[in-house]
Amino acid sequence: MDFLVFVKQVPDTNDVEVDEESGTIIREGVESILNPFDEYALNLAIRLKEETDEEVEITAISMGPPQAKEALRKCLAIGADRAILLSDKAFAGADTWATSCTLFKAVEKLGGADLYFTGQEATDGNTAQVGPEMASNLNISPITYVEEVLDFDPDEGTISVRKETDQGYMKVQGKLPLVLSCMTPPDFEPRIPGVKEIMAAKKKPMETWGSEELEGSSDQFGLEGSESQVISTYPPSSKGPGEKFEGTPEEEATKILQRLESEGFLDD
Amino acid sequence: MAETQLSRDDEFGLTEEQQLLKESLLDWGERELPLTRVIKMNQEGHPYPEDLVKSMADLGIIMGTVPTEQGGSGLTWEDQMLIADLIGYIDPSIATAAGFMAVETGWGFTLNRYGNETIQKEFIKPAINGEKFVGIATTEPGGGSDVAGFECTAERDGDGWILNGEKTFISGTEEVQEMGGAYWVNVRTGPAPEDAPHKNMTSFCVPVDADGMNFQEPYRDAGRMAISTGGFIMEDVRIPDEYRLGEEGKGFYYTMEGFDNARMLIGASSVGVTRRVLEEAADYIKQRETFGKPLAKYEGIQFEFVDLYTRMKALRLMYEQVAKMQDTRYEEAGYGDVEGKPKTFSPTDVVRWISMIKWKAPHLAKEAADKAMHWLGAAGYSDEYVFETAWKGIMSYCVGAEGGANIQKIVIARETLGPEFMPYK
Repeated sequence: MDFLVFVKQVPDTNDVEVDEESGTIIREGVESILNPFDEYALNLAIRLKEETDEEVEITAISMGPPQAKEALRKCLAIGADRAILLSDKAFAGADTWATSCTLFKAVEKLGGADLYFTGQEATDGNTAQVGPEMASNLNISPITYVEEVLDFDPDEGTISVRKETDQGYMKVQGKLPLVLSCMTPPDFEPRIPGVKEIMAAKKKPMETWGSEELEGSSDQFGLEGSESQVISTYPPSSKGPGEKFEGTPEEEATKILQRLESEGFLDD
Repeated sequence: MAETQLSRDDEFGLTEEQQLLKESLLDWGERELPLTRVIKMNQEGHPYPEDLVKSMADLGIIMGTVPTEQGGSGLTWEDQMLIADLIGYIDPSIATAAGFMAVETGWGFTLNRYGNETIQKEFIKPAINGEKFVGIATTEPGGGSDVAGFECTAERDGDGWILNGEKTFISGTEEVQEMGGAYWVNVRTGPAPEDAPHKNMTSFCVPVDADGMNFQEPYRDAGRMAISTGGFIMEDVRIPDEYRLGEEGKGFYYTMEGFDNARMLIGASSVGVTRRVLEEAADYIKQRETFGKPLAKYEGIQFEFVDLYTRMKALRLMYEQVAKMQDTRYEEAGYGDVEGKPKTFSPTDVVRWISMIKWKAPHLAKEAADKAMHWLGAAGYSDEYVFETAWKGIMSYCVGAEGGANIQKIVIARETLGPEFMPYK
């Protein structure tokens, strides 16, 4: 069986600064890391591989600049068997649609897979769109917000999961191939690679594919292939200071309750 | 665990593998040993939690420099020093660095080098896997740094040896009783010649459960409480000859090599402690305001801060140099050839550097913790912050663990001015 995990290298900061002139995120001096959500997705892929008797190859794919190899090397250390970096100047400026189209071309070149994994979103753009768009490109179903795998039957080609919804949870069974967009439950917590795994990662295959290898035309990639354009990027406005209730615990609780009532939060 | 403005440039010059290793260690620290747990462990005291030992073993960082064919991770000293630095950063109480970098890794590596297959199989490999503890027992009631003045003895008894005497201020005595394991023990196997008292010393690997091993109540140390310090009395402890390290009578030389490896790792860990202390302090002084402006704006504080920071960076460069020299030393001498000598420089050239880092790095960490407590005032003096935990812990390496400061100065003087100027000559 083949599992494909889509990963992204993102800036490691919760305090992103934006260049006011260009409207883009300032990346200089900010360390890059593997998107934490993707780490959980990769770990789920590894877990399913370990739980099945089938022979499974896990490939981690990322689109990004050459330094995104660092994130892929980490994937190999965590447990992916192979890594592919899609990197080309032609891919620059891609929106989520162009990104998913580029990834799709790589998937076609690989001959497809049985299960596709993504993190629920990337911590830089937070769009959560690439997973469902991949499913659309592949003409298969996505199961988003996966937070538990209830059953995986490779012989029957089915997987049952519990997914989160706005109202609660939903149990879903799907037939492979499928795209799973994963949340970050403790069960999927990424393993920390040790020395042996890090050294072994050096010997695992990593390839770089550009637009030539993907055999696409320039209007399919990057800025040219994008359906949307970012007009401006800006940090959220600050919420202002909070309010402190003082007194005994009973008095504090009463004051909070009164405040919630007056704001209408406790109305039916 | 995110990098901060203070340490981002530490990535410079690291290999891709070292960067991944660093990321793994920081993730491990965040998950398994956050500062809240460090402080709690320090309050509750030993024994050191076995889950942490096991997870360090899973990462492959205990005795990481032992070759892979002997069950280690085959790391370079540059790698292991980076790990020791990060261990000090993660646990500024220094308990983890003391127990599992200096003792198990520094001494354990050397024990493995001179130990035979029996010792490797029975003690080293299980310790690498986090299943047993191996420690070092040099200090005696009569003294510690004066290694040549030891009084414990071993006498031949058929195909084995009978050991007698007392060892004291030994790290990990509670842990070794919990986990099982052994101590590297130095004893006299002949009288001390007047002109060369370091001769006739032999090293043994003594199992903790051997008959006649009597452990004493652990000491109540000032700090690094998560790893125990105690002692034991050997009363007619009989061990087979295969537990002897290397050649009879050469224990002093093996011990000095063990000290080298333990001291350099503690040097790196102390740099890690300093960095953590300064990072935590920076967070505070940038936010805490007095008289309408943050503490960090006052030159009285920021000048002290940058002085410590600059010296910390210098010590980091210094330990990287030490690590490179130690890698060359073992590469040229040959890991398996215990008689081999490095070609580029003599072992004593390395020792000089090791003594410099062992002398300066713990003192800088202590000074950083001391200053941080002053900057924070009452908050810094409480265990709400890590500074008092770090201050009390690192003090152990200032006062004497792995060789006191004055011993390091004597070594540096010997290797720069010449042995004829030694006070003991």
